[in-house]
Amino acid sequence: MTDLPLAGFLALSAVLLGIGIFGILTRRNFILLLIAIEVAINSAILNFVVFGAYWGGVPGYGLEGPSVAVVLIGLAATEVAVGLAIVLALNRLRGSINVAEATVLKL
Amino acid sequence: MSGPLNALFPWAFLVPLAPTLSFVVIGLFGRRMQRLEWGGWVAAGGAFVAMVLGVLIAVGEMLSPGTYTDRSFQWFTLAGNGTGTFPNGFSLVMGTLVDPLSAVMLIVVTVVGFLVMLFSIGYMHRDSGLPRYYAQLSLFLASMLGLVLADNLLQFFLFWELVGVCSYFLIGFYYQRPAAASAAKEAFLVTRIGDVLFLAGVFIYFQQFATAGPGLGWAAAGFPFVDHGAPFLALIHASNPTLFTIAGLLVLGGAAGKSAQFPLDVWLPDAMEGPTTVSALIHAATMVAAGVYLLAVTSVFIGFSATDQLAIVAIGGFTTFWAASMAMVNRDIKRVIAYSTVSQLGYMVLAVGAGFTMVGLYHLFTHAFFKALLFLAAGAVIHVVETQDLFKMGGLRKTMRITSIGFLIGGLSLAGIPPLAGFFSKDDVLGSVYAAAQTHPLYWPFFLLALLTVFMTAYYIFRVWFLTFSGDRPRDPALPAAHEAPWTMTVPVTVLSALAIVAGALVFVPQFGGLFTAGVGFPATPGVPPAYTTTDLLLSAGSVGLGLAGILTAYVLWGNGRVFSLSANSPAQPIRRLLLERYYVKAGVDWFGLRVVYTFSRFLDFVDEYIIDGTVHGFERLFSELSIRMRRLQSGVVLDYAAYVVVGLAIFLVFLYVIVPAIPALGGG
Repeated sequence: MTDLPLAGFLALSAVLLGIGIFGILTRRNFILLLIAIEVAINSAILNFVVFGAYWGGVPGYGLEGPSVAVVLIGLAATEVAVGLAIVLALNRLRGSINVAEATVLKL
Repeated sequence: MSGPLNALFPWAFLVPLAPTLSFVVIGLFGRRMQRLEWGGWVAAGGAFVAMVLGVLIAVGEMLSPGTYTDRSFQWFTLAGNGTGTFPNGFSLVMGTLVDPLSAVMLIVVTVVGFLVMLFSIGYMHRDSGLPRYYAQLSLFLASMLGLVLADNLLQFFLFWELVGVCSYFLIGFYYQRPAAASAAKEAFLVTRIGDVLFLAGVFIYFQQFATAGPGLGWAAAGFPFVDHGAPFLALIHASNPTLFTIAGLLVLGGAAGKSAQFPLDVWLPDAMEGPTTVSALIHAATMVAAGVYLLAVTSVFIGFSATDQLAIVAIGGFTTFWAASMAMVNRDIKRVIAYSTVSQLGYMVLAVGAGFTMVGLYHLFTHAFFKALLFLAAGAVIHVVETQDLFKMGGLRKTMRITSIGFLIGGLSLAGIPPLAGFFSKDDVLGSVYAAAQTHPLYWPFFLLALLTVFMTAYYIFRVWFLTFSGDRPRDPALPAAHEAPWTMTVPVTVLSALAIVAGALVFVPQFGGLFTAGVGFPATPGVPPAYTTTDLLLSAGSVGLGLAGILTAYVLWGNGRVFSLSANSPAQPIRRLLLERYYVKAGVDWFGLRVVYTFSRFLDFVDEYIIDGTVHGFERLFSELSIRMRRLQSGVVLDYAAYVVVGLAIFLVFLYVIVPAIPALGGG
């Protein structure tokens, strides 16, 4: 794995983050929005994994990178669970999962 | 020397206590018993007790001339710590001082006070609010007596303020009338100017004496007639002469306010809005006498400053003329007498300023009786004819014989015709100023003004007498039919008539005269010459001649029902107008208030409204407009918020990685 350059992984991570943010800003469908958020989170997870591997052989560094990645995967799963619950509730409440119409946050 | 009456001296505090008790009794129970009108008798009773005690004490003082009985108790003491304004600390005392000066004042205040109370019972019986009237009148009397007996300047000041507030109540007795309410306010505010000055003067004396003389204490500082001997004089000599001069001028300011001296004289003629009895009390015994009395008790300090003396002489001399000139044209019977009071107070101030304290007090003594007489007689007239306009009256001597004779005696006394009371004291005043002018040439103009005023005085008071009492019938036929006033009014008039005749000659009784000679001449005080004793016959003849000329002029112009009127194009018209308009002083004050003060206030209002408030409101509008616009950002759409987060993050990153490294001050460069 060390023969692949770090910059490539970081570039991939940046591209993933860009795709995620683009999706967040442009999708109106709640489910697609959730997927876009997942992509953005995964770009961060990828960073952790990459840096964890990068520093893996260096003395004084442990398994911090992969461990945080695991926690973040759990966090992403939780976020999707909550997000889908909101989708269901929103669908039941308004009969639509278009986020642009869901302005109940505004007083 | 001491007589049996001296045992009374330590009990002098009972004198002000008696009217205070009537004040409390009437104040607490007066309303319940309103219909019986017994408040008047309670007040008169309190005043009577005060009069008996006061006169007994004064007689005791006469029998043991030159004694000073000071009974005081420590109010509180502050120990000094060797530094600061009062390194030796100071103590405040309260007490009564019986000395020749206060003995004279005791007679004046209690006798006039009692007679006015008695007169009130007849004069006021148709009025409502009588318990208030009698309670306040009693308090007025009590305050004045407390002032007279005070043994230090601080206590003096407390009673001084009480006198002031009582005069405010009583001048505004008919508070439903706007003129009375405004006159009361005017009196209070104008005298207040003087009070503030006086208080500042008290502070200076206090500081000077408390710092220098721990042994003498503050009580010793206030009063001239207690002979404290060499240490006291050393103390005065050791104090700062500039500060002493300033303190004297400040005290003069206080006295000018209370005694209605120029330029604080406007309030007294307006104070005629109160009941006539109140005017009599204010003009004869209480209020205005306090100012002269203040000058008298502080004369020992004032005597150390030629500047102060000249200032007092100037103010007194000018006021005599100034007020008398306005009295010559006024058509309100009470106002003429009021101007006359201002003018006569000027004589007293003049004498005190010239260094003849007891001469001034002597004039105060005689003036109290004939002025109270004039006021009470005028009050009886007003009570009967129900107008104060001289030009509506006339011929009243036929129906109101006692009153007219009383007024005549008062007028002759005021005009300085021998052997009435006013002659002796006025002659003494003129003589003493004449004597002082020999060594102080700057006094001459004021002496001449005072001499000229003798003529004017006789003229204006006899103009009033002729207009009111001579002639066949009232000029205004609508006046109610005149009759003599009831006994409670004629008795005081009669008694005062007798006093106005003999009060002046009383000084020839050795014991009584001793009060005036014993009081003068603080030992070895420069600037306080001994009592004026010799009478310059030429001067006396001159002043009597001027008085007679004044009476004659008044007779020619106004006697036997004649009414003198200036032709419309007479060159004297502008002068008459000037006098009627009170030298435009009131108009000037109004102009100043309306134009200068009001304009300045408008400017301040503008600053407040548009600059201070404007700034506040501007910020308010700025943020309110901003928030109205910012609110649009809160669309409620999640996507928009996500966009803000991204934009915010982008801005933050740009700031952190682009702007910061580019600016050296932020650690970049």
